[in-house]
Amino acid sequence: MKKSNFNALIFWLSCCSIFCSTAFARSYDDIIESNEIVVAVYRDYIPFSYQENGEAKGIDVVIAKHIAKKLGVKLRFRWVTADENVEGDLRNNLWKGHFLKRTVADLMLRVPYDKAYSLLRDDIGELVHEQVHMFAPYHTESWKIAFNNQKIEDVSTMAVFQYHDIGVEVDSIPQFYLMSVFNGRMSKRAKQFNTVESAFTAMHEQKIDAVMGLRSQISYYQHQLSSPNYQLASNAFPNIGKQQWDIGMAVKSDYRQLGYAVADIVEAMIASGEIKKIFEDHYAIYQLPALYSVAMEQPQ
Amino acid sequence: MITAGKNKILSLSIAMSLTFTGLANAGVTDKDIANDQMTTNDVVTYGLGLKGQRYSPLDKINTETVKQMHPVWSFSLGGEKQRGQESQPMVKDGVMYITGSYSRVYAIDVNTGDELWQYDARLPDGIMPCCDVINRGVALFDDLVIFGTLDAKLVALHKDTGKVVWKKKVEDYKAGYSITAAPIIVKGKVITGVAGGEFGVVGKVRAYDAKNGKLVWERPTVEGHMGYIWKNGKKMDNGISGGKPGQTWPAELWKSGGAAPWLGGTYDADVDLLFFGTGNPAPWNSHLRPGDNLFSSSRLAIDPDTGKIVWHFQTTPHDGWDFDGVNELISFDYKEKGKTIKAAATADRNGFFYVLNRENGDFIRGFPFADKITWASGLTDEGRPIYVDSNRPGDPSKSKDGNKGSTVVSAPAFLGAKNWMPMAYSQDTELFYVPANEWQMDIWNEPTAYKKGAAYLGAGFTIKAINEDYIGVLKAIDPKTGKVIWRYNNYAPLWGGVLVTAGNLVFTGTPEGYLLGLDAKTGEVKYKFNTGSGIVGSPITWEMDGEQYLSVLSGWGGAVPLWGGDVAERIKHFNQGGSVWTFKLPK
Repeated sequence: MKKSNFNALIFWLSCCSIFCSTAFARSYDDIIESNEIVVAVYRDYIPFSYQENGEAKGIDVVIAKHIAKKLGVKLRFRWVTADENVEGDLRNNLWKGHFLKRTVADLMLRVPYDKAYSLLRDDIGELVHEQVHMFAPYHTESWKIAFNNQKIEDVSTMAVFQYHDIGVEVDSIPQFYLMSVFNGRMSKRAKQFNTVESAFTAMHEQKIDAVMGLRSQISYYQHQLSSPNYQLASNAFPNIGKQQWDIGMAVKSDYRQLGYAVADIVEAMIASGEIKKIFEDHYAIYQLPALYSVAMEQPQ
Repeated sequence: MITAGKNKILSLSIAMSLTFTGLANAGVTDKDIANDQMTTNDVVTYGLGLKGQRYSPLDKINTETVKQMHPVWSFSLGGEKQRGQESQPMVKDGVMYITGSYSRVYAIDVNTGDELWQYDARLPDGIMPCCDVINRGVALFDDLVIFGTLDAKLVALHKDTGKVVWKKKVEDYKAGYSITAAPIIVKGKVITGVAGGEFGVVGKVRAYDAKNGKLVWERPTVEGHMGYIWKNGKKMDNGISGGKPGQTWPAELWKSGGAAPWLGGTYDADVDLLFFGTGNPAPWNSHLRPGDNLFSSSRLAIDPDTGKIVWHFQTTPHDGWDFDGVNELISFDYKEKGKTIKAAATADRNGFFYVLNRENGDFIRGFPFADKITWASGLTDEGRPIYVDSNRPGDPSKSKDGNKGSTVVSAPAFLGAKNWMPMAYSQDTELFYVPANEWQMDIWNEPTAYKKGAAYLGAGFTIKAINEDYIGVLKAIDPKTGKVIWRYNNYAPLWGGVLVTAGNLVFTGTPEGYLLGLDAKTGEVKYKFNTGSGIVGSPITWEMDGEQYLSVLSGWGGAVPLWGGDVAERIKHFNQGGSVWTFKLPK
């Protein structure tokens, strides 16, 4: 009697572990045992993560592959449709699951590494991100402008965009910035596009003279145009608020051990210059997060 | 012996019901739809008539008899993923048609509660409906059952088999669109809006030939976008909404102005106009878009034949509080100094109740129906809000880097003094019965925000109850004076539709699970029945074999449980469900 109950329990537990392996974020041990890690990356987000003819590509995809290889497990991607903000993405993909299908990933990439953000509190004083642990910054992101030097001689300051049309992604800081700073003097010149890619297409078709966006994306697309007419500007962005920020990863709070294991892998990749190379392979400007800069510079 | 006798009676009744069904089995016609309010043996429109009054002339169930009303059957929608059930049932020829969460449709035998067929839409990965996976009901036309899906398609099923007759993609779900409202049928056309509050979206109302799903016209709800009409299969320009771009929007923001008509519309044959409401403008930060931002947060009167905008009335110009203007506009007539006024009324999210002239959109009168309104001190003679400038959420570009901006406390909350749940108008009492909520919100600028790994300027907000003992209030409102005749307070927010009958009864449901029947004149609770899960659907009533029936869906969900704060505290113990309850009086 007792034994059969015990067997039933074992059976139930083993069933559960089969299902749980896809339904819940899991511990480091579970991942190693199941021989698979599920990594959440954004869908259609060139040059970070996207699919081309069914093949996963991009900076974050290569980094995830490297992490899975070092852990010695197989890799499965969870393609994330972005919510209104990262808070929603973390909820939908790491701890609660989207209400359509209550499944989550083990690890998520392209999560801000920002102390103020991870310690954010809601209106009743609770930690907003207490369900997730954010760690392993792997690059520093910023804003950048690419311009057509046949139309604009040089972008020394933002002032030129009182006279030249500039493309921005809809509902992004570059759009808010151009619409509002300097009393809206550039707002009429801000042309909006659904993606940075379509803004580059418009610049190539001579419809606009410049594009402003995420530095990694701007440098990638500028390279894609492969023409000396399109240059990267080195101007400053006064009053833009956040000038630069670190990008890292996140796991569910309960699985710190997984976080430590992944952080070690990422740190080694940074020390060996591997991450930098991955960015360069994708023609994206690489900047080392401040967290490592001291450690990296000391040996010299 | 006894068993045999029972069987005989049973088979006889089946035979009778089959004969009955066989005889009356004609498809739904435009005439059936036009007369729905007064033909009590069926319900073939969302709103019990295209005006959307939700008034039934049936009076067998009344303030005297209602205490004897009892359930005759309950039907479970099944599935493990029970979510909010916001559907209004339809009844035709002994069959009930309902939608369920996750874009499901059911046909049910109204005599027995037996399922006749079920259709499950196959939903793709990666759909992101904003506010639960709900659906509000089907439209019936000819032998078709037509509904919209969470991945923004219109699907027409055969009424007898549930098999797909035609299917049309209305918008691309990948761009953030979905459909949750019940489509309406006017003059053989199925007319629908789309949901999609995301930035980058432009709202559109579209008309399709109900028989084959061919597009007839398309009307953008944002100023500056071209409308189209199809003649003999040819797409032709049909005038730019509002004449030209850039009149009420700065720079290029009209290109992605939002204003999604996500709650569907009503129609009035007297003036031959469709009435569709539109959502709030984008982006959320109103300081980026000085101007009225037409046609966001408005009611649009649209010609059903051509798709042209005949008039518009904007309830919240230059919205900064997320006050969608989608709530239903209900046509009604009233007498004043011996003259009949062709009016229409709406209870807006922004807390004001508006009475308009439905022939031309002129403002007749408006008054607050919410107890607390902080964002406007009143309405002008033209019906424009008189803003309280200090109550507009602040400009994030003015806040100091890294610091949380100042918090504004604003009422009503973004979920509105009244949300999607339809009110009812009684032709007997000449009162509107409005399912309202008393809540407010804190809004602040949140500079520490990210979107897709990119720094972002966000807003933090939270919804709060105003009173300890209630949020929901069902209010009986006199549209001629603005007077609240009676009110019924409910602890949890109200989220279900209202029905009023000639039996002097108002029916609605509560998140606590109760189907309530109240005296239409006094608000006294005459009937209370717990359906086992929260009610967020709209009740209907009809007559069959000389008896009056009442049906409502039960199944807690919708947008309310998705928000936190102390509202979540009030509702977190409510159980989910998913069933249809049908009631009648004892014989």
